[in-house]
Amino acid sequence: MKITNQIKDTTIIITLDGELDASSSVMLDEALSDPEIMTYSKILVDCKDLNYISSAGLGVFISHLQRFEDAHIKLIFYNMQDKVRNVFEILGLDLLMTIVSDYEEAMTIADE
Amino acid sequence: MLYRTNAKSLFITSALISWSLLLANVLLAAESMHRESSIALDLPFVNNFLIVVFIISVFGFQRLSAENLKGIDFIGYLWNIFAKGGIAAYLSIALYMVYRMVTNYSSVQSPLLLHMVYQLNFGLMVLFLAKAFYVWRQLILYHKNKFIQIAWDWYEILLFATLILTLLNFNYSSLIFLPLLGLIGLYTLFLCTNLKWVAYLTFNKKGRSLILLVAILLACYIFFDFFYGFADSPLLVIDYSDVGFLLLAMFFVALYTLASFLVALFSLPTSSVFEQKSEDLLNFQRLSQSIQQGQSEKQVYDMLFESTVKASDASAAWLEIFRGEKKDEIELCHQLTIEEEQIKRIRHLLLAYNIQHIDYINNNLDRNPGFRDLTLPWKSLIILPIKSKKHLFGVLYLLKDIEQGFDRETVNVLRTFTNQTILTIENLRLVHESLQNERYKEELKIASVVQDSLIPKKFPSDSWFEISTYAKAAKEVGGDFYDFLQLSESRIAIIIGDVSGKGISAAFHMAQMKGIFHGLMQQDMPPSEFMKQANSALSRCLEKTSFITSALYIIDYRMKGFMFARAGHCHTLYYNSMMDDTFYFQTDGLGLGIIRDKSYNNHVREMYYDYNPTDVMVIYTDGIVEARNPQNDEYGEDRLRYMLTQTYHLEAEDIKYAIINDLEDFTGPTENIYDDQTLLVIKFKPTQPSE
Repeated sequence: MKITNQIKDTTIIITLDGELDASSSVMLDEALSDPEIMTYSKILVDCKDLNYISSAGLGVFISHLQRFEDAHIKLIFYNMQDKVRNVFEILGLDLLMTIVSDYEEAMTIADE
Repeated sequence: MLYRTNAKSLFITSALISWSLLLANVLLAAESMHRESSIALDLPFVNNFLIVVFIISVFGFQRLSAENLKGIDFIGYLWNIFAKGGIAAYLSIALYMVYRMVTNYSSVQSPLLLHMVYQLNFGLMVLFLAKAFYVWRQLILYHKNKFIQIAWDWYEILLFATLILTLLNFNYSSLIFLPLLGLIGLYTLFLCTNLKWVAYLTFNKKGRSLILLVAILLACYIFFDFFYGFADSPLLVIDYSDVGFLLLAMFFVALYTLASFLVALFSLPTSSVFEQKSEDLLNFQRLSQSIQQGQSEKQVYDMLFESTVKASDASAAWLEIFRGEKKDEIELCHQLTIEEEQIKRIRHLLLAYNIQHIDYINNNLDRNPGFRDLTLPWKSLIILPIKSKKHLFGVLYLLKDIEQGFDRETVNVLRTFTNQTILTIENLRLVHESLQNERYKEELKIASVVQDSLIPKKFPSDSWFEISTYAKAAKEVGGDFYDFLQLSESRIAIIIGDVSGKGISAAFHMAQMKGIFHGLMQQDMPPSEFMKQANSALSRCLEKTSFITSALYIIDYRMKGFMFARAGHCHTLYYNSMMDDTFYFQTDGLGLGIIRDKSYNNHVREMYYDYNPTDVMVIYTDGIVEARNPQNDEYGEDRLRYMLTQTYHLEAEDIKYAIINDLEDFTGPTENIYDDQTLLVIKFKPTQPSE
């Protein structure tokens, strides 16, 4: 699992590469817990190379969801592979989180 | 053992009898020679036979009493020769003195008395030689190899063979036997080079052994002098110096004693080196064995400190051990002739040079201005960090009051000590950890048994439906669960769930969920209402990053239908026999514990479905559809659905086995599955219960 950050103005793009399982979700939790992340208005998560997400990985996003919402920070997922998207959908997270097809769409939604 | 004791007493008896007979014979001969010198009764063969019997008896007895070497108490053996054999020599001298005094005093020549003394001395000498001979044998064979053992065995045989010469009354000093004697002499010389035991004596013991060896040599000289003095004496009827065996045995004993003496004497100056080396070895051994002996880390450090100070002959030293997580707590656990104040100053200086935790040798402290300013009484310093690749356990400082105090040899020995210590400490910790792990494993086993009892093994068997279950946890305890509750005579509630994560925390939440299920369903509520209330209950107790997916089915066979709600759980697979179709129920529903307020209520849907006889419902957890093969492909919903289209006509039990077998074919043989797997197959039966 590789997590990289890229900053564009008030947007932070987090790129997930590999499998988000129990051990790598700890890394993700650390990245999302960083106090600095609250200074951005948008968090874009690039899931192009995310091959698998475990329940622990989902749990990390879920645990931070409320906090971002309260701070009016938008959390947007894009470039999601079908099987990963299926996991989000089964759990009902697609109705709770913003999942879009590509970067352009993500940016337009983010700018709204 | 009995044979040994018997043989011993036999030897003693034969020695006593042969000696007494010999004495009688000799006295008789002496008497007859004295009376009428012309008709001397000459019985050389009888005498020689008795001599041989006596010698063999005494040597045989000593051979049997010589015990195997025990330990390295060589002084004890030397003392044994001296006490039991050497004393004989001094006794013989005393006897001869008494004889001389008596004859001088009374000025009467008494050939009988002389023969008596001569005969007694003969007995004593044979005793001494036999004792010394077999003790030396033990020492020659110390640390023996096969070659030395064979060489010695042949030497013994050869020596005893010379007794035949005596028996046949040959004169060994005749020209024919001289080369043979010379060869035996060389052989003896060769055997006398086996002196390994001397090396194991410490300096003090060498000193004591030198004294004992001199005393033994003196005993040899006394006997030799006595019998040489009486050789070919006209006063005696018998001459024991004619017995070649005795001369050879004497030669061997004296030569080996002399060789031991010289070797012990010349190895005196080097013995301290040998002692130090063997002590180092012993200390290594103690260090490496401290794990088996269950010693603590402190004891290991004690050993290290003691051994290194001794090995380097350091005049001052101290050992620092790091404690605590951040290695910032320094404990000064050993101190040798150095003040804490001095330690503080040295440490301060090292910190300034930034060399406090690295290998460092300074063999001339005065040349360094920083150390010169400290005005320490020492001139050499070595710093030995005790560290593995991962940890710094401590640092050892050794100081010496001379320049060039730590040469390469010493440093190597010290490093070996510290390396051994690191190994020992790490192993100690590993042993400790594995013990701890063992305990955790035991507790996990108990948890596993407890959890297993939470999952029902048997569903109520009824004529209107059949159910078959399968559950396999990825770890000792898992997060999957299923359960049922008979709500009324015609209604049964079935729940399946999956707690996020694995292991103990998942197992606890699973137990909670089971409690919530039984608690809430007592009130008999629709599935969607159950999900809402369960979410509300779980919101208060679930970990922040945890959530639970679940699906609840209430089957009513009187109505021939079931009601269900899905909370983020895998879609239910269904075979409808009327339409001959397999499909997944696509309903919305958010997992439990994701939204922890009232707004969850908008996220759960309920569905009612009428079933037909021979319809099949497959309920499972994501461990089934997300199971992977070695190529990292997932089993998937499509393959599961395909399996049902092939097997729906079978009984529930067989459908389950077909799916599980196919799943195992797919994943291949793996010991550890990645996620918990649970599968429930429900088949509705055509026959209805009679009302």
